[in-house]
Amino acid sequence: MIEFFTSETFSTVVSALNSGFIKTLQLFFITLIGALPLGLVISFGSMSRMPPIRWLTRAVVWIIRGTPLVLQIIALYYVPGIQKWFNWPSGETGRMLAVCVAFIFNYACYFSEIYRGGIQGVPRGQQEAGLVLGMTRGQIFRHVTLLQMIKRIVPPISNEVITLVKDTSLARVVALQEVIWMGESFMKGNQGIAGLVWPLFFTAIYYLVFSGIVTVLLGKLEKKLAFF
Amino acid sequence: MKKSVLSLALAMALGLSLTACSSGTATQPSDSQESTAPQTQQSAAPAGNDAAESDLQYVKDKGTLVVGITNFEPMDYQDENGEWIGFDADMAKEFAESLGVNVEFSEINWDYKVMELEAKNIDCVWNGMTINDEVKAAMSVSDPYCLNAQVLVVPADKAGDFEDLTSLEGLNVAVESGSAGEDAAAALGATTVPVQKQSDTLMEVTSGTSDAAVIDLLMAGAMIGEGTNYADLTFTMNLNEAQGLDSEEYGVGFRQGSDLTEAFNDFLAEKVADGTVLEVATTYGLQDAVILE
Repeated sequence: MIEFFTSETFSTVVSALNSGFIKTLQLFFITLIGALPLGLVISFGSMSRMPPIRWLTRAVVWIIRGTPLVLQIIALYYVPGIQKWFNWPSGETGRMLAVCVAFIFNYACYFSEIYRGGIQGVPRGQQEAGLVLGMTRGQIFRHVTLLQMIKRIVPPISNEVITLVKDTSLARVVALQEVIWMGESFMKGNQGIAGLVWPLFFTAIYYLVFSGIVTVLLGKLEKKLAFF
Repeated sequence: MKKSVLSLALAMALGLSLTACSSGTATQPSDSQESTAPQTQQSAAPAGNDAAESDLQYVKDKGTLVVGITNFEPMDYQDENGEWIGFDADMAKEFAESLGVNVEFSEINWDYKVMELEAKNIDCVWNGMTINDEVKAAMSVSDPYCLNAQVLVVPADKAGDFEDLTSLEGLNVAVESGSAGEDAAAALGATTVPVQKQSDTLMEVTSGTSDAAVIDLLMAGAMIGEGTNYADLTFTMNLNEAQGLDSEEYGVGFRQGSDLTEAFNDFLAEKVADGTVLEVATTYGLQDAVILE
């Protein structure tokens, strides 16, 4: 058993999986950094007082949430080139860029609905009270609604974030070499090692440890916000 | 007010990207359908039809030939330093050098090789690609450079049961989805079990979930038998012979109507003549498989 963990095969596989997992992490963090703010903007659109904007935003959210993410990735990566609009940068950079855009947009739409629920869940009386006190709508949002909204949305956002950890594996459809792609590569042959099945299943450990860490951190955040 | 201006701007951006996207996906299949028909005929005479936008010139201007590959020993695979080597990889380096450009290898998802080409994410598919009607309809394919056959992979201890077989009826045969092996197995009456990769088919046979698998001879030679991780597997039947067909031929795929195909064919003829092809093939144990005419 110990021989296995100290074998050259094991270290080759683990270092390949590590390099794949770095891609997974990059995708994960870039998606969060992009999607969390973009989701808020989209949620404003879907709550806009101007009906055309509201309808349009909600239609977009419907389409993005209503079609498979994997299809959106494929479309975003291949269609621009086929239609001669533009070409993604060649190689791994372009693949990562296209996948990030697809993920950010997709997750922003999910987040926007969570934000909307959080904002609309704050009792209307508080806004009216703010208006009576002479606050502007912006002031009401920042000083009254925002913190209460954040507190409300932490559990559902946590849920999406955990899902995102695992959804990153969809990126391999356009040959982004994330951790599952790397795991699969040893079945077919990679660096002279072929026919190995365990690396694929071994990737589960990466996901489990990482989502464990994320769960603990989000749990702490939730506790911190429990003061009111 | 600021907020509504912001949301208006955003909604419009969303709307634009949305319509762009949806019209793109909607027209793309019909588009390629229409263009397939005329261009298949053109590909017989690739020279001159695209004088306005020469693919060769495009690659030269770009300074890089992007070669679409999968990790496929002995054609394209990585050495310890992460450098791409293999028969196809080494020839691709030679080809890029002859064009005076750099070479870049890009791993692709094999199912999307045509889209990768059309979207110009890669410039050629060079990865032990079997030339068949499907490939010829979607790409401009070079002269064949290597021979291959599809073989039946079975557990070594049951090899006797599979000898002298002329049909695969009643057998569950694992095949790579969309591969030449899938067609061959289906033609011989097998119940096919399509999986994602050739290597997955071997896992099917080892685990007993399929009776046999069909993969390339080249891959079978490299991946199964003594000294590999699939020592308990062996290959028996040549499906090409069983069907009374010729061996398969490997070619390099370029964009439809591309003048790179012609440049490649000239390059290949030259390298066959000066012995480079045989030399590189011998390095990777393919001396019997390469075409030297």
